[in-house]
Amino acid sequence: MAKARGFDIRRQNGFVFVALCCFVMLYLPIILLVVYSFNSGSSIAIWEGFSLKWYALAWQNDKVQDATILSLIIACCASFVATSAAVMAALATTRTNKFRGSALVFAMINQPLMIPEIVTAVALLIFFAMIKVYTGYTGLWYLIIAHSAFCIPFAYMPIRARLQGMDLSLEQAAADLYGTPWRVFRKVTLPQLWPGVLAGAMLAFVISLDDVVITEFVKSAGQDTLPTYMLGQIRRVVTPEVNAISTILLAISVALVIAFYKLSQRTDQSTKK
Amino acid sequence: MIEIAGLSKTFGSGASAFTALKDINVTIQENEFFTLLGPSGCGKTTLLRSIAGFVDPSTGTLTINGEDILSKPPFARPVNTVFQNYALFPHMTVAENIGFGLEMQDRPKAEIKSVVGDMLELVQMTQMADRMTSQISGGQQQRVALARALAPKPEVLLLDEPLSALDFKLRKEMQIELKRLQAETGITFVFVTHDQEEALTMSDRIAVMNAGRILQIGGPKDIYDHPAERFVADFIGDTNFVDGEVKKVAGETAQVQLQSGKVIKARNVAGGATSGPVTVAVRPEHADLSAPGGLIDGTLKNIIYFGTDTHYHVQTDDGSTFVIRRQNQPDAVEAHEVGEKVGVTFNAGVAQILRD
Ligand SMILES: Nc1ncnc2c1ncn2[C@@H]1O[C@H](COP(=O)(O)OP(=O)(O)OP(=O)(O)O)[C@@H](O)[C@H]1O
Ligand SMILES: [Mg+2]
Repeated sequence: MAKARGFDIRRQNGFVFVALCCFVMLYLPIILLVVYSFNSGSSIAIWEGFSLKWYALAWQNDKVQDATILSLIIACCASFVATSAAVMAALATTRTNKFRGSALVFAMINQPLMIPEIVTAVALLIFFAMIKVYTGYTGLWYLIIAHSAFCIPFAYMPIRARLQGMDLSLEQAAADLYGTPWRVFRKVTLPQLWPGVLAGAMLAFVISLDDVVITEFVKSAGQDTLPTYMLGQIRRVVTPEVNAISTILLAISVALVIAFYKLSQRTDQSTKK
Repeated sequence: MIEIAGLSKTFGSGASAFTALKDINVTIQENEFFTLLGPSGCGKTTLLRSIAGFVDPSTGTLTINGEDILSKPPFARPVNTVFQNYALFPHMTVAENIGFGLEMQDRPKAEIKSVVGDMLELVQMTQMADRMTSQISGGQQQRVALARALAPKPEVLLLDEPLSALDFKLRKEMQIELKRLQAETGITFVFVTHDQEEALTMSDRIAVMNAGRILQIGGPKDIYDHPAERFVADFIGDTNFVDGEVKKVAGETAQVQLQSGKVIKARNVAGGATSGPVTVAVRPEHADLSAPGGLIDGTLKNIIYFGTDTHYHVQTDDGSTFVIRRQNQPDAVEAHEVGEKVGVTFNAGVAQILRD
């Protein structure tokens, strides 16, 4: 805290104020949302006292139950498929010699991040409509495939980052000690990579869980995930039931983030000096 | 036996192409402690990695016990490597690291256990078997890396500057330990270093490399006493270079006339000059001071006391510096003083004609 400390952005005029504004903008709505989920009245604007009634209602609501189950199935499947694909893609883009067009491949893997989601959604809608015409299949797989596809870049990023940070000589040492490529991957690469894999899977899971746009376009009649159900609800009457569901989703996300943070800390301690 | 013939390696292509190895020819015998010695960037690691299988040579052949190994992937080659940074698996214990190679070879569990036990004993790490590799010291990591590479009993062990990360004292200890391990296991060692002293004390034979080429291969004494090229003479130990002219060649020796007019007998090398100007190398400890009128005359410029020996820097009459090293005797009185006119002498046969 000596005077001659040079430039420190924290000591600029108004820094604290701007920072506070940002935090208020970010978190006040969320705090209000959580608070009003405990409102005993049916308004999302007038506080009438504390109750867990909206949680109970949401819990007993068959539609919410169905949507939750559907959301979880899709998110689990999509994050599994996307993470597997992302691991392979990350290996192919970091563990091979630079090949022609590797920059293009990189761009293509990340394509869902850059193309407007609405475009992807429309494209998928049309594509699946064609398949529906030929096969007549209207099941869940369209949603799982769609979610898997747009979750890949989210899973890919942390996995690739982890792979790039890993010491190549470990894999070479394993190969030198008679490890075939597959066993080197399983015994050396994967154990080091798994915090990245876990991060990728969690990210994909959360992204899939809260997707609205693509789900709305791709889903068949009667297939509602939690977000699309909530969107439908809000169009009619808005009750704190929506707040309650949102709060639970929020709690799940926060729990995942904390779990991941703890896990990555622990593995970092055991792998690094 | 490793036979390498006509091996070269060019990285990249076109304008950015860089040839790291040029026409390497060498035969390494069984049970040999063979050292690759050379300055940084001369291609030692590249040659070692070509043997291990991590570098794909551009041309040439490489066989181990008569079997071509260039077509084999690293995991199918009967060699193990001790990496410069050790590359121990951080998610495994010391014992698991050492057993890794055996496990990959699908050896029975009981055998792995007993071999790992033997290896731990060999490198004196039995107490640390269950530690993670991040919980042991640098020297201990080095020993684990060594044990891990030795455990599968490879035909050849490749060591890439394994001692360079250790402090001086530990390094000396590990040098002795490495020699002992090599003798005990009877495995061929190919050892990389840029430390000439390490190379001289440990090796059966040394290949001196520079800029992608092997300049000379020979035993430590051979390389030290009879360097074939200026680079070798300069890189290993201290050397005086004296200009002269070949007058007559008779087998291994030649008559060389120095610039002072005196004619000396010097050892010639295969492919050395048979006439005309040459450079002759003389080690400082092989020469001595005399009264003026020696083989070379000059002025004593500097006397430097080093404890075990004293260095005399003589400015010769043709302008170059000649260094003489004399072992100190207890209670001897310094007989020379700076500024004195002196002569330089050396015995017939200690001078070596250099190629080029
Ligand atoms: N993959 C590569 N691509 C391009 N050039 C390379 C590559 N690997 C090595 N080189 C070059 O080849 C030369 C020899 O490298 P090498 O690692 O074999 O040197 P070294 O003798 O082991 O040096 P050091 O003692 O510093 O380890 C260096 O000039 C290096 O820049
Ligand atoms: Mg090297």
